[in-house]
Amino acid sequence: MSDADNQADATDRQLLRRMAEGDRAALSVMYRAYHGRLCRFLSRITRRADVVEEAINDCFWIAWQKAGTFQGESRVSTWIMGIAYRCGLKALRQHGSEPVDEDSLPEDRTPSHDPDDDRVMRDWLGKGLERLSADQRVVVELVYGVGHTLDDVATIMGCPVGTVKARLFHARVKLRNVLPGLAGERNIHRENAP
Amino acid sequence: MTLQKDAGRDCTRAWEAMPWVLRGDAPATQDDWLRAHLAGCHGCREEFAQQERLREALSLPSDLPLDADAGLARLMARLDEEEARPPVARRRVSSGWLVRALAAAVLVQAVGIGVLGVKLRGEAPPAPVYRTLSSQDEAPAAAGSLRVVPQAAMKVAEWNQLLQSLHLRVAGGPNDVGAYTLVQEDGKPASDETLQRLRGTQGIRFAERVAGAP
Repeated sequence: MSDADNQADATDRQLLRRMAEGDRAALSVMYRAYHGRLCRFLSRITRRADVVEEAINDCFWIAWQKAGTFQGESRVSTWIMGIAYRCGLKALRQHGSEPVDEDSLPEDRTPSHDPDDDRVMRDWLGKGLERLSADQRVVVELVYGVGHTLDDVATIMGCPVGTVKARLFHARVKLRNVLPGLAGERNIHRENAP
Repeated sequence: MTLQKDAGRDCTRAWEAMPWVLRGDAPATQDDWLRAHLAGCHGCREEFAQQERLREALSLPSDLPLDADAGLARLMARLDEEEARPPVARRRVSSGWLVRALAAAVLVQAVGIGVLGVKLRGEAPPAPVYRTLSSQDEAPAAAGSLRVVPQAAMKVAEWNQLLQSLHLRVAGGPNDVGAYTLVQEDGKPASDETLQRLRGTQGIRFAERVAGAP
């Protein structure tokens, strides 16, 4: 863990202690700090914005109530991502993953800035991730997107490290075979990993 | 042959190292080794370039139209709503399984009462609808006798010692509610003082004269 990670975790622990004492300002700081990360993470599970927001709020609802029980066995970020993962799966079971009409979204959910370059890259990534299972997408996001270790990912997903390794391996093999084609490249790699 | 095998092994090693080198938290030796391997391996270089692009794409902020402030406002409203509810109602929300278990128990009791009601309606009403501890059962108690109910935890030795100290003996019982009939050893009615001492003794749940006694 880098110094920056240690410092961020120390800040998170302090916020969590304040949350355990009922400090809503600490909850607000924590919420804003994690919103973007959780939004992106949960969007790998479902593309429904309303379901993602519900999962984020359920996650912080639980974090608010359980803040006093945090034992410090992992980083706070790992603990929160674990809660978010379970909330995401629960929301997915309740609502499904199909996108809803833009008209049905509350007006305060405004579209984010999306330059053309980003859009091309998102399309490329989105098409690649479509080929993966939800669990494979989550592992890819946690390792490449968020930057968690395999041990952290195992804690978040509540499974053995070996399972995480297998999911990452199969996800990489699939992406290796589809991503070049999706990017318009002719060079399709062989099916198996080295 | 050996060279090919070694190259394959190196490519496997490179494949495994890529995510951690990309994240920037691989040991310096692993980082250096991978860079050196990539310089001489076209396939791994392409793979690494794609992994970099993948990481870059995954690092883009979410494109879902969600506003943090609006979401936070909704969460705070939810907390307000929860805190405004009475504690019992709050507990009910946090213990869904308990609510379901209690509801199931109530349902079972309701069914049981219903079945019992139907059964009782079909039978002739029993003569005595209730009995008291001083009601006479098998044999009429002697005048001035007492009905006493000791606690289940009371030891026999303590019970015997108590009777001895008050010059009492057991004339009957225990009946189906655990009451003993006690009489004075000399056959006279028990005095008020004896009754008060019984009532004040630890381990005695109930002490009363038999109905009709002085």
